[in-house]
Amino acid sequence: MGKLRLGHICEAVFWLALAAFLYIESFDFDRGIEIYKFGATGWPRALLLLVAVAAMGQFLFQFVVGDKATSGTVGAASDDGAEEAARQSGHSHFRWYVSTFSLLILPFLYMRSHDLVGMFLELDKEGIHSVKLIAAPVLLVVYLLLARGNHVGAILTLPLFFAAMLEDLGFYSMAPLFIVGVTLLMGERRPQWIALTAALIMGVLLFTFVSLLYVGLPTGNISPFYDLSHWIVTMIQ
Amino acid sequence: MDPFSNFITGTVTLFSDPLGILIFFGGVIGGMLFGAIPGVSMLTLAAILLPFTAHLSAEHGIMLFSVIYCTGVYGGAITAILFNIPGAPENAPTAFDGYPMTRNGQAGKAVGAAVMCSAIGGTVSAVIMMAATAPIANWAISAFGPPEIFALVFFGLAVAATVGARTLWKGWLSILLGLMIAVVGMDPVGGIERYDFDMPYLLAGIHFIPTILGFFAVSEIFVQAERKATGVYEAPKLSVNFPSVAELIAHKFAVVRSIVIGFFCGILPGIGATLAAFMGYNEAVRWSKDRKAFGTGKLEGVISSETANNAATGAAMIPLLALGLPGGALTAMMVGVFQMHDMEPGPLVFLNSPDLVWVVFAAMFFANLSILLVGFLETKTIINLLRIPFQFLAPLILLLATVGAYAVRGLVIDVVVMFIAGVAGFFLRRSGYSVAGIVLGLILGKIGEQTFAQAMQMLHFEWTGFFDRPIAALLIVAALLTVAGSIYSAFFRKN
Repeated sequence: MGKLRLGHICEAVFWLALAAFLYIESFDFDRGIEIYKFGATGWPRALLLLVAVAAMGQFLFQFVVGDKATSGTVGAASDDGAEEAARQSGHSHFRWYVSTFSLLILPFLYMRSHDLVGMFLELDKEGIHSVKLIAAPVLLVVYLLLARGNHVGAILTLPLFFAAMLEDLGFYSMAPLFIVGVTLLMGERRPQWIALTAALIMGVLLFTFVSLLYVGLPTGNISPFYDLSHWIVTMIQ
Repeated sequence: MDPFSNFITGTVTLFSDPLGILIFFGGVIGGMLFGAIPGVSMLTLAAILLPFTAHLSAEHGIMLFSVIYCTGVYGGAITAILFNIPGAPENAPTAFDGYPMTRNGQAGKAVGAAVMCSAIGGTVSAVIMMAATAPIANWAISAFGPPEIFALVFFGLAVAATVGARTLWKGWLSILLGLMIAVVGMDPVGGIERYDFDMPYLLAGIHFIPTILGFFAVSEIFVQAERKATGVYEAPKLSVNFPSVAELIAHKFAVVRSIVIGFFCGILPGIGATLAAFMGYNEAVRWSKDRKAFGTGKLEGVISSETANNAATGAAMIPLLALGLPGGALTAMMVGVFQMHDMEPGPLVFLNSPDLVWVVFAAMFFANLSILLVGFLETKTIINLLRIPFQFLAPLILLLATVGAYAVRGLVIDVVVMFIAGVAGFFLRRSGYSVAGIVLGLILGKIGEQTFAQAMQMLHFEWTGFFDRPIAALLIVAALLTVAGSIYSAFFRKN
């Protein structure tokens, strides 16, 4: 096995699987272009070949020398704190990855919740909204349960949850809750500071972007969140 | 009239018009502020202002965007240095040494160097732009066809693969990932949709602003959050000690070299300031006797990157005004401003609207000079952002990034893409991949494929045709030697 670790094998498998998947998908657009003999697939397939070569090169290099940085490379990655943080936190074992990816799936389940329910029930617009309104709290409870054992996973997932809900519930309703969530996850426990932070950030954002620059932020499309957003926008502008 | 007389006329026109003065200073301060606020960038401001320029004259609209361009490129260096969040891709190499300097308690020195070098690079570039737009544009246009531009992109990517990642292979995988992301959407020759997975959103491709915000701003918050969650977070050390004049003079060769590189890259359509900054940084490493110190907080890294990217701003106006070819995202928006006023940028602008051209040139010159004056004042205040505890700064940055990603096209899916890129960036960075490499691949991917296709058609699909053209041949050989040299170093040289 040389100096290989499980992580090295997973990395190589990831890149090769990605290249294989995208190669197979490229048959979907494998059509000729009259004036260009390489067609639409020539460039991406050449890149995928290079991905496979680089992944094998990386695998071979790790087999021979392990995790050492190569000579001749310069820059930040080994010094920007990310690798160091990963090492110090010990978040590199298999169970942590499984737990983190279980959390990360939740926002996507919310986004596709109406499709999942739609496989069993006929849903109109109202039905879709009802499914979303039920899915949001249910998945948030699941998130809170899973997050108890995985603090970093919870931090990674919360912004995705926020983004997933923006379309339906709107920026104006979700942003204050998001600020409170992030501040809590970062370790702040004093309620007055959390409330002040939420009020200040929302005040600055709404004044600058909505009142001054007339940027239309997402208002959501489910009542009563949509109505609340419109009321806030009307008040500000 | 000679360029100097034109410049004087442009200056008088600019500063004798109260609305022009207001727009000029609004652009200077707006570009600096949006560039320096973590999460949003000059592109966010430009995207927000684009519809409003319809109410301005063409002269004021183009002048506003050119001023935002100059000061925004500088402003992006502040967040790159203080938070490891480049305000724009052209500031990415600035973070390589700027952020380690902040962690070492030298934030003031790094920001001071960025102020000085951005002003020097931008002002010299503006002077060259005014003096030599016509001959330079003629030379670049005749000497650089698609084969040369593709060769330059290839060379730039070969160089970038050795910067920012833990190993050469990870550098290439990062760049290739960026190039693959750029493949999503319509193919540049036949308009055939690729990797859209039946999602209409993907037909237009993945926009680079949410991707950049995700890979840099969001992933940085995640990395710091992990450090905080595991109790190893250290707040950056605050300092406002600017570099001494002697320190800057000691780097005079780096400044001159970066101006030449920046100007040369900026003049080429589609290449712009991003590659200029990467190449400026990389050449600094190549010419240095102390290569190992780069990436750990070396002042020369900040100086080279910031001089080169601002030197590219003046040069980028040459293909835009002479040919109507934008060199980057912001100059592409300027094309939009021209079109809103029923004008097309190109050689006719010089004939039909000389006033516009010279007001814009004068505004860019003074905008770069004002970096020196306003930049120091702004730095003294912006640097205090580091005093805000991370638990309060993190939600602010994440929400600013959300607004920045959403404001570009008004699509919530861009926010989702940004946070997905943030999570991906978090995992890739902790495994030693380079997010800057991914972003460079993403930005150069489209132009790389387009110029490759055009070159192959021009050369009748004969690969050897590249070697019949001296500049293309030189660049391709240089790129191949860079790749071969780095592979040799990776396997056979002791670290």
